[in-house]
Amino acid sequence: MRIRFWGVRGSLPVPGPRTERYGGNTSCVEVSSAAGTRIIIDAGTGIRRLGKELMHAEFESGKGAAHILISHTHWDHIQGLPFFAPFYRAGNKLFVYARQRDDQNLRSVLSLQVDSPFFPVPFHKARADVAFRELHDGAHFEINDVVVSCARLNHPYIATAYALSADGAKVAYIADTAPFSDILFGHEFLAGPPSPHSVLSKSDHKTLRTMRSQVVRLCEGADLVIYDTMFTPEEYRQTPHYGHSRPSDAVEICCDAGVRTLALYHHAPDRSDAEVDAVLASTRRDAKVTAPKLEVVAGFEGLDVALGKG
Amino acid sequence: MMDVTFWGVRGSIPSPGPGTVRYGGNTACVSVRLPGGELIILDCGTGARNLGISLLAGPFGKGKGSATLLLSHAHWDHIQGFPFFGPFYVPGNSFTVYGGSRGERLLEDVLERQMAAQFFPVQSFRNMGARMEMRPLVEDKDVRVGSATIRAHANPHGPTPALAFRIEAGGKSLAYASDAGYGSGGPPQTAVDLYRGVDLLIHDSTFTPEDRALRLERGLSSLEDALDCAARAEVKKLALFHYDQDYSDRDVDELVARGRRWLDERGAAGIEVIGAAEGLTVSL
Repeated sequence: MRIRFWGVRGSLPVPGPRTERYGGNTSCVEVSSAAGTRIIIDAGTGIRRLGKELMHAEFESGKGAAHILISHTHWDHIQGLPFFAPFYRAGNKLFVYARQRDDQNLRSVLSLQVDSPFFPVPFHKARADVAFRELHDGAHFEINDVVVSCARLNHPYIATAYALSADGAKVAYIADTAPFSDILFGHEFLAGPPSPHSVLSKSDHKTLRTMRSQVVRLCEGADLVIYDTMFTPEEYRQTPHYGHSRPSDAVEICCDAGVRTLALYHHAPDRSDAEVDAVLASTRRDAKVTAPKLEVVAGFEGLDVALGKG
Repeated sequence: MMDVTFWGVRGSIPSPGPGTVRYGGNTACVSVRLPGGELIILDCGTGARNLGISLLAGPFGKGKGSATLLLSHAHWDHIQGFPFFGPFYVPGNSFTVYGGSRGERLLEDVLERQMAAQFFPVQSFRNMGARMEMRPLVEDKDVRVGSATIRAHANPHGPTPALAFRIEAGGKSLAYASDAGYGSGGPPQTAVDLYRGVDLLIHDSTFTPEDRALRLERGLSSLEDALDCAARAEVKKLALFHYDQDYSDRDVDELVARGRRWLDERGAAGIEVIGAAEGLTVSL
């Protein structure tokens, strides 16, 4: 199984000299199995380059197939989709997956992105065959030789975590999520952090505990876990209501789940290359004490990881 | 003096990476500081984020700032920086947002849909904090903004029009024409009239003429369209703008060099041509 990072940034793309090494494109990770199943997790701006590369092979002649798993539909996870070249070639087969919603179906949410007046080419003019599949929180299914499991994450409007197993290896993708401790996120707008005196209700506390244990189970024994570590501890203190984690949260989950390697991911837009280096160094230092067996890396554009047999 | 600063110069989609570091990979955003100190912002692509960061160091950080935002049209690369513009989140700041009066949807509705819960956690621009007033801009009619007079004129741009703007203040003038797909006849006289004699014309130069020939349906200009406008309108300086997402810094260097040669060969050696680059300020 091969994993390649095409976009590692959170919130919005950040071009410029400060982000040259880790990259400024938003979320996109490609997973391919030895048997040739191609899965793309999230469609931030990183998917544009991936699409260009795919057009050098079978997608150019309209004979390509790819499965796109969307963690949630915040802009930084879908904004590259209209620029994914295989969409515009007849014959290509694209399957798009995301969490089922009560209020709007997946197709209509993604259509809005390419409707007038926002984008010149509406969905019905994208010539590939596109199928949508909506998932419930604990979904478990197969894409050819790859087994996919899902779990709910703690994020505004709710996001989905994915674990993919194939070739005797397992990778989990946890973005975006807040820690499972201070706030239970749902659909409502949170204007600020909870007041210092507020206490989490018993039922919210229980929901978060269950959510956490399901995420740990999803990551159980994974070779690689890609985790939203957007915040420093200080940033989390100021804006816990934004719905993102610290590296220490990721290390704890990975430790509990017996994970081999953690990839820091969804870097804050303000974080320069040198600052990501520093976050990585301090996370490694801390993990040496709390999770001595865990290897920690920081996701960067172009990072290529081979796992298991393929 | 009118200070014009580029914060995003790229078209279609932000294009981070080592190949775009010099000219920049952020999408369209230009700030104009008028002689009287008022601030006008042209388009709100991802470049608006860095503009916002720089403004927060001044009155906008204390909730005492005000500015006028002119939106050429609602394609993503011209509005996607809106949710990430820091001064919008400081109560007390106030903004007037002008956009097109044509099209099937009102400006407010367009911006609100970008902020909706499924796409962005803030859910509504009303949750951002600053005061915002949305106003349609009537074409070809002068509007007063502080010490400036602004006129808008719609250029064809594929299925939707895009507004071009002319701003005049204190005897200085600027025209901004992003996303202009003039068609086979070249720039019409009405567009050239809007740009007539300005000190600085910022013009869509998405493609080389060769690349544009392959992508006519995109409704965007080639280098030649921009040069043609500059020469016919007898502007003082031309800034190439809205580069294709795949053009590297070296490609843009070549675009500028070709522009220089073209103008010299056509007896327009007096017109200066530059490539708009993030962080560059042109003082008029």
